[in-house]
Amino acid sequence: MISTLAGPGARADQALSFNMRLLAHHELAGFGGIGEGMAMQQAKDGRRILWMAHEAAPKNFTAVDVTDPRAPKMVVQTDLPHAKVRSNSLDIVGDTMIVAYQTKNVGMKPAGFDIFDISTPESPRLITHFDASGPHSRGVHAVWFVDGEYVHMASGAPDHEPTHPNDDQFYRIVDVRNRSKPAEAGRWWLPGTKKGDSAPPPKRLDPKFDIGFRAHNTNVFPERSDRAYIGYIDGGAVILDISDKAHPKLVANWRYSPPFNGFCHTVLPLFSKNLLIVSDECVKDDGVDWPKMVWVVDARVESNLVPIATCPTPPHSTFAHRGGRFGAHNLHENLPVPTSWRSDDIVIGTWFNAGVRAYDVSNPWQPQEVAYYVPAAPAMAPTGAVQLNDVYVDDRRIVYTVDRHIGGLYVLEMTF
Amino acid sequence: MVRGTIFSGIPVTLITGFLGSGKTTLLGRLLRHPGMNRAAVVINEYGEVPLDHELVAASSEQMTLLSNGCLCCTLRTDLQETLRELFVKRRAGEVIDFDRVFVETTGLADPVPVLHTLQTDGLLGAQYRLNGVVTLVDAVNGMDQLDTQPEAVKQAAVADRVVVSKTDIAGEDAARKLIDRVRAMNSFAEVKMAVDGDVDPAWLAAIAPSRATASEDELDRWLPRVIDAVSAMTARPHDAGIESFCLWFDKPFTWPRLNAALQTLTALRGPDLLRVKGIVHVEGEAAPIVIQGAQHVFHPPIPLAGGGRTDPRSRIVFIVRNIPRTSIESLFNAVGAL
Repeated sequence: MISTLAGPGARADQALSFNMRLLAHHELAGFGGIGEGMAMQQAKDGRRILWMAHEAAPKNFTAVDVTDPRAPKMVVQTDLPHAKVRSNSLDIVGDTMIVAYQTKNVGMKPAGFDIFDISTPESPRLITHFDASGPHSRGVHAVWFVDGEYVHMASGAPDHEPTHPNDDQFYRIVDVRNRSKPAEAGRWWLPGTKKGDSAPPPKRLDPKFDIGFRAHNTNVFPERSDRAYIGYIDGGAVILDISDKAHPKLVANWRYSPPFNGFCHTVLPLFSKNLLIVSDECVKDDGVDWPKMVWVVDARVESNLVPIATCPTPPHSTFAHRGGRFGAHNLHENLPVPTSWRSDDIVIGTWFNAGVRAYDVSNPWQPQEVAYYVPAAPAMAPTGAVQLNDVYVDDRRIVYTVDRHIGGLYVLEMTF
Repeated sequence: MVRGTIFSGIPVTLITGFLGSGKTTLLGRLLRHPGMNRAAVVINEYGEVPLDHELVAASSEQMTLLSNGCLCCTLRTDLQETLRELFVKRRAGEVIDFDRVFVETTGLADPVPVLHTLQTDGLLGAQYRLNGVVTLVDAVNGMDQLDTQPEAVKQAAVADRVVVSKTDIAGEDAARKLIDRVRAMNSFAEVKMAVDGDVDPAWLAAIAPSRATASEDELDRWLPRVIDAVSAMTARPHDAGIESFCLWFDKPFTWPRLNAALQTLTALRGPDLLRVKGIVHVEGEAAPIVIQGAQHVFHPPIPLAGGGRTDPRSRIVFIVRNIPRTSIESLFNAVGAL
């Protein structure tokens, strides 16, 4: 037995790293709180521009030129119209950017998404706004836009009244082929979550963990354009048949809370392996909702999803009480766009105060952690520790990860 | 062979050498070197490496953190367990974020089983990788040891780096003779003379390619493009029938052919296959593959990243005991012709 020497783990002000190296850190002009929208544009002049949606007001989104990943340069930073709205999520195809808007309370505006022309990154031009506001809607929390034609999103709607206020955002598909006239193409909600449904409302989680039965990430890939892979928060992982966009149909729903503590966030299919990687989101500080994990799910029979492993969690004793949230959150989502890294072997995700972590799932029964980077607590971090929120990996294997509160952008190199 | 997916892990460098060859002196120097910050050293014989009080920043029963940032750890159980525990503590931040490990083997040890530990333990494989073997040979007693001690011969044969020690006592002529003898066995190791263990840690640290994007220079440093003419020039018979050579292949392999050749070789002559290192082109792979083995154990082959690789040829270095080069050539030719 090797006994303990005080090391950096005891201190949130020191970085921990394995197989990842920090290339650059950008504090985004003091507005370093980023949500879960990160996308890369390959501009017509050859520059690579990383666009990030802020976690909270006052900033809307920030673009950084990462052509040289060692020397990121801020290109533009925009403001929100007021303090009770957040953008949180964005996606890009070519020179078109979709930015989500979610308001603090129902009935407020802007609640929906904007379509921007970013062909000149320095001056994004608003094309139109898609309004999803309503008496029971907070608007859009997360968008998925990878084919240039449809926005898939977690959203409320003017005509939708949930049975429980926490269940306000559901899956919506919006046709944006005509950029100036976006139109809803279809929607799906968990039966029982809309007033008037014949199904009874779902049994709620313990009030301590009740976040809601609503959609979070709504992913659709060209390999299976007839499927939507949805993290449905307390409702678990959902697969929908969207071959008829106007009438999505439930294919599978893997529920694992309780006994677990809810918040299914991302469902990432690894098509060549017939696997789903499912990530939770930790939403409580100080380890209260632990464990929040990254699951490996056998999807050979998509109507019968079977969990077969979890990725190794970071050491609980080091991080649970280090400050802020400790648990899984966003994954790099293998976006089917030219600027995104795609791998069915390596899964990369953020863990709030436990940094960003990479897993080798080539043996899905026994995923191995192959890299991690835990930045030192950023200056003036409100929780006393870093809170890595989202991650994007570009086709050069450069890892971009962002702090939820203040630390801004960390650019990393995978050294394996 | 199961194909590995990634280059990963903290590089582990074995420091080996016969009793009295100067391992302790070398380690004592290394531990004090400013370039050793963020290194972990696993020493085998507790208490043998003397540490000055002022050098010690923190200490526990089996670990000492030195003031230069080097972590010194005593091996008490087996190496696998020690390396695993070290990583668990590193991951939990309970020890420094060490970025390389030096492991001292006992003077009488055959280094090959230690290589196997790193190549076959799946859990260790995700966390560590073999960087190389550094062997100390004593210029005063090395000749006698090579004559009489099979372990000493094997230690020199499998080395990536050879440090010839005590050259100040033995004199340059004796040292040169020893170097010639080592090169006759192992013409692919880099050799340096050192007095009082004065070796740059950087020379010991960067031996094997550390990443899929390794440059041609890095690959050449691991697998030098030397012509194995040195052994032919030496009149002395090879020690214990040990010799080293490099085979070049103009055409890419197929996976079945590469596997068949290596499997046949290990099945029939495993014990005499002291070390195999290669960079090989395989049909259908965008970039060359790195292969490594010692005796009957091969590390999963790992693909390099493509781009900028100009040499279309494959090369495999063999360090073998009593296997004629022509036999291995014939085997590869026969398999290639089928």
